[in-house]
Amino acid sequence: MDSRIVNESYSDSTLDNEIADLERKLAIAKAKRPQQLTPHSHSSPTNSTPPLLASLHDTSFHFLLLLSDSALPLGSFAFSSGLESYLAHQKLVSRQPTSFASFLPLSISSYASTTLPFALAAHRDPASLATLDDAQDATIVCTVGRRASVAQGRALLGIWERSFAGTNTSIPGTGVMDGKGEGGEGQRQREGLEALRAFSALLKTSSSSTSTSTSTSTSTSTSTSPPSSTATAAAAHETTTCANDPLPPPAASAHLAPLFGAICRVVGLSLEQTAYIFLLGHVKALVSAAVRAGMFGPYQAQKTLASGTVQGLVSAMIEREWETNVEEAGQNVPVMDLWVGRHEVLYSKIFNS
Amino acid sequence: MDSPFPRSSSAAGEGRIVIRLLPEGISGLQALSYQYPLKLVSPTRPSETKSVLVFLLSFGGGLVGGDIVNLSVDVQTGAKLALVTQGHTKIFKSATPDVVTRQTMRVQIAADAALCLLPDPVQPFASSVYEQVQIFRLARNASLCLLDWVTQGRTARGENWSFVRWLGRNEVWALGDASTERDRLLVRDSVILDNNRAHPQLPSLRESMHSVGVIGTLLLRGPLMKSLGEFFLGEFAALPRLGARDFRSDDAKAAAAPLSPREKWRAERLRMERENKLLWSAANVRGCVVVKFGALDVEAGRSWVGSMLLEEGSVSRHFGDHSLMCVR
Repeated sequence: MDSRIVNESYSDSTLDNEIADLERKLAIAKAKRPQQLTPHSHSSPTNSTPPLLASLHDTSFHFLLLLSDSALPLGSFAFSSGLESYLAHQKLVSRQPTSFASFLPLSISSYASTTLPFALAAHRDPASLATLDDAQDATIVCTVGRRASVAQGRALLGIWERSFAGTNTSIPGTGVMDGKGEGGEGQRQREGLEALRAFSALLKTSSSSTSTSTSTSTSTSTSTSPPSSTATAAAAHETTTCANDPLPPPAASAHLAPLFGAICRVVGLSLEQTAYIFLLGHVKALVSAAVRAGMFGPYQAQKTLASGTVQGLVSAMIEREWETNVEEAGQNVPVMDLWVGRHEVLYSKIFNS
Repeated sequence: MDSPFPRSSSAAGEGRIVIRLLPEGISGLQALSYQYPLKLVSPTRPSETKSVLVFLLSFGGGLVGGDIVNLSVDVQTGAKLALVTQGHTKIFKSATPDVVTRQTMRVQIAADAALCLLPDPVQPFASSVYEQVQIFRLARNASLCLLDWVTQGRTARGENWSFVRWLGRNEVWALGDASTERDRLLVRDSVILDNNRAHPQLPSLRESMHSVGVIGTLLLRGPLMKSLGEFFLGEFAALPRLGARDFRSDDAKAAAAPLSPREKWRAERLRMERENKLLWSAANVRGCVVVKFGALDVEAGRSWVGSMLLEEGSVSRHFGDHSLMCVR
């Protein structure tokens, strides 16, 4: 009961934030187009237009909807973030009942504590995208988790390059609006654009030069063949470098969180919005995985998504990680690492993680 | 007040270990210094010479709330060091949650040198607040074998992840070559166990551990640990598939080819893993092998790690049997 009260207070504060944010956007939009395109202006005696109307011309609002859309082709549907493995381990190893209601909070908490600080940091300083990507690559210590993060990160970068970045006029800093961005914000967005361009170039060079080393690690990790052949294949490859250190890791990997933070900054989303749709995206992917794993149907799925619990959890996690430095990000649900890592040893699977 | 140990001073327990390669080709102790509450002991007449053995101890067998230990370790070119403990590192309760007990270890491993750190687990008592940071900086072809594990507390007293907070971070860095490259972070493994729930819908720390009594991380890097790392990856790939069924008849199973010693060992280990509900995974992360495990209790974890390291044999081969005393 009292959890509901807390949830409402969280949702209130989120709404307040959103309202404040939209009002700020309104002021910016109005400053840009003082006398133009306001057929309803005669209806309001003062200068303040209702926020909804302003949002019609707000590029960031448009991109907020695009980036939070489950149709955004990140391939998130292929990943269950340990849900499938959790189900198998509870049923077959622990012989315990399974429940999505107990997995969901753990998963949100774990995802927030390990990855949200990277999305926040990239939004605050998009120029540090490559550094953050490299740092996050060092923190994901399980093959399956790395695969999921990189696959979605690369997909997002692809969407950025092929779809978003080309729409010159609507993204601040890319086209006609260039130079009009007011002060620091425009500067940051241009930095973010430049960082994305540089990162994409870095990714192309690093993935071609280190393709041999990555292929070795993936063959070791994804193979279901007997261990002897895998080990010898890896050993045969390694003998070329003999008793020396392996090659240094690639300069860029394209993990989802830092790219998401940087892209949201460039299209004008606020830090709160970015954090919220980043975590909510994780919840949506989990719920959709649960539906496909047969845990419940579409109505229960929407009920879960609409619940005060999910809203409260997402807000609470954002507040918890708001000040967390990426150096302090870490796993707070250690069994999650085991479930996600051991997705490899499931006999039958429908997901990639 | 109820602690039998003297109130710790605000001064940190500084410690320093320097190991170098002696002219006769064996590793020797060049410097060893420590301050309360840290205590370092190295046997004067070691039974083995493959590596220098140093015990990481503390006065009173544990760290009192608010104790701070800063240890710096320098393993010079070609030298080898094995660090062990004697019994669990006990973390006593803190008077208030803002009194943090801290251990920091900064390790420098020079070219072709090696460190083996296989301690007993950390045992945080109820109401303790602990933060541990271990940073390993490896020059070219340096090797590292690191075990970091933590228990649920004193089970005999009903403790079950009852501390306030436990934070453990391990970083492995590759040192840049010849002033051209920057130091590169290879792995940052960080575990945050916090009993403070950020939202009422979150399960308690105890529930979120899913009846695991000990969790651990084994981190392997460098030429001396290469075969051990491949061994873990190979054994992980060889784990029986979860949910697979054996459709052979009992006769067919009995008629199967006789098992090799390795297969026998594996079958026995898998039986132990099932019995102790030991879950583990291994991954190659940027040239390091990271093994994560969780088990019902300390002894299950200990016997599993010990069994893996003994079966493969390279830790004992490179560092001597004394390096394995905490995982036997």
